[in-house]
Amino acid sequence: MNRYLKLVNFEFNRFFKLYIVLVIVTIIMQFFAVILESRGYMREAKNVIYGDMMSKADFIKNYEAFTMQRVVQSNWFYWSIALCVVVLLIYVFFIWYRDWLGKNSFIYRLLMLPTARLNLYFAKATAILIFVFGLVALQLLLFLIEMQIMKWIVPAEFRVDLPIKEYTDFNYLSVILPGSLIDFLLFYGMGIVAVCVTFTAILFERCYRLKGIIFGISYGLVSVGFFLMPLLIDTFVLNYYFFPVELFVMEVIAGIIVLIGAVWIGNYLLKYKIRV
Amino acid sequence: MIEVKNVTKKFGRKEVLKGVSFTAEKGQITCLIGINGVGKTTIMQAIMSLIPINSGEIFIDGSKLTKDSYEKITFIPDTITMPPQMRIADAFAFMADFYQSWNQKRAEELLEFFKLEETERISELSKGNTAKVNMLLGLALDVDYFLMDEPFSGIDIFSREEIANVFTSHLIEDRGVIITTHEINDIEHLIDKVVLIDNGVVLKEFYVEEVRENEGKSVIDVLREVYES
Amino acid sequence: MNVKFNNRDPVYVQVVRYFKEQIAKGFFEPGQEIPSRRELAHRLKINPNTAQRAYKEMEEQGLIFTEGNLPSRITKDEGVLKKVRKELIMEAVETFVHSVRTINVPLEEVLYIVKEYYEKADYVRGNTRD
Repeated sequence: MNRYLKLVNFEFNRFFKLYIVLVIVTIIMQFFAVILESRGYMREAKNVIYGDMMSKADFIKNYEAFTMQRVVQSNWFYWSIALCVVVLLIYVFFIWYRDWLGKNSFIYRLLMLPTARLNLYFAKATAILIFVFGLVALQLLLFLIEMQIMKWIVPAEFRVDLPIKEYTDFNYLSVILPGSLIDFLLFYGMGIVAVCVTFTAILFERCYRLKGIIFGISYGLVSVGFFLMPLLIDTFVLNYYFFPVELFVMEVIAGIIVLIGAVWIGNYLLKYKIRV
Repeated sequence: MIEVKNVTKKFGRKEVLKGVSFTAEKGQITCLIGINGVGKTTIMQAIMSLIPINSGEIFIDGSKLTKDSYEKITFIPDTITMPPQMRIADAFAFMADFYQSWNQKRAEELLEFFKLEETERISELSKGNTAKVNMLLGLALDVDYFLMDEPFSGIDIFSREEIANVFTSHLIEDRGVIITTHEINDIEHLIDKVVLIDNGVVLKEFYVEEVRENEGKSVIDVLREVYES
Repeated sequence: MNVKFNNRDPVYVQVVRYFKEQIAKGFFEPGQEIPSRRELAHRLKINPNTAQRAYKEMEEQGLIFTEGNLPSRITKDEGVLKKVRKELIMEAVETFVHSVRTINVPLEEVLYIVKEYYEKADYVRGNTRD
């Protein structure tokens, strides 16, 4: 346990610099989004009100009041989220491959640590989770700041202020910031399962190299297939026999089995099949 | 004692180890000799469980390797095992964090012995100094056995001498060492025992002083004899 | 201590020989303390087990002695010391005679040449020393 925590700490520090850069870029992009959208809206308002001699009320009626929704839908905002997602997805792979790459074969050291090798697996998975939740927390904080910035630029009569939830429920953000606790557990639970399955697939490649790519991909497909099995059987074989709640429970169980499978196989590969 | 029993290893269709058996005693320096690519490194990796073997068994003091064995036996590969962005001090901290057998006092002593600075970054070290740091990280562990893969290859003559000095010092005393080399000249007088490997099998296992005493032959003489027959 | 070892004779035998030479030359005095086995291995750059073997051999031959936990010393036994000197001389003479015999040189001629050469070598050595 102790060495596991030390490994988490180590993995965290290893990515920290890049992570901070990612955070800063995200902040800059989102501030850009707020400022560009807010000022663009106000510029338009000025043009229409002063140029076309429209009253404020008519303007708001015709053009809709300003909400954070506009910011959230803007390109800069969208790409800031996409950037974070892509970087973390790449890091799910790189967190393993970096140990093998280059002349400095750190994997020798890691595999020779006097601790269960599964701890490496868990530490890396934990580090990824910490990075993900760090970004999620950052997003919530950024929302508060961005709303404040918006309030400075757009006067009260032009805006409708809604709680954060309203902006995240009906678009791509609902995946990152789910509306309910159940959704949260479900989405991030699936995320954890996906990370572990990917880790185990990577380990297949690391153990068997070229052949391992095929093993890894096959393993991944089998895992996805197993996970979707209740849904598929219900839809195509049983013709929607189960209630949604029943299906939901079965899916959760399938997910847990896939997770246990990923960890168990990962443990086996690290213990008996891994090569430096 | 480290016992390697009938170990085989295939990479794809290529059989690199075809039933390798030998022993290495504690308190002795055992040298695996063979030209490049005969599987010396693979044997060491197999002993350390860094590579799966196809058959055979390996025992360390009578039992198989477990995670706790890494406090008793360590491997110094021919590349450094720490990330390049680390400073030597960071590497020390890492080792101290994870190994109970890490001996900080010895590490500092070795640092001085090798004339290295704690603040140096691993990526900025010369080849010879990188080899020394690598060596140091292994030697500063209070373990019973060291495995060293080609500690003398590709480094300058002065670094070689400094590393050779390690073998006659108290750092090695009473511990078991397995070392690989494809060039015996540097260490002919340092080793106790030779395990001659070629083409995935052990051709001969002998004590160097015995061969000198009984047959009047140098290690090279024996090598020549074995290879020519 | 700087010894060039050959690769064909047991290193421990060569170490013993080195000690005998030093004793015969008087560089090691009777009763003088000698380095520990580890120290010796380090200085001669040889395997510590070999150094250990050499010391064991020397102890058996009475060249060195150890009292309790104290460092080993060169023997004070005059008999042994004389024997060492004689052994080295005999060895050198043996080799010399053996090679000279193969060229069939008469003894008188050999002795004359040896005397002349010995004195000349002494002279040359004496000169270079200045």
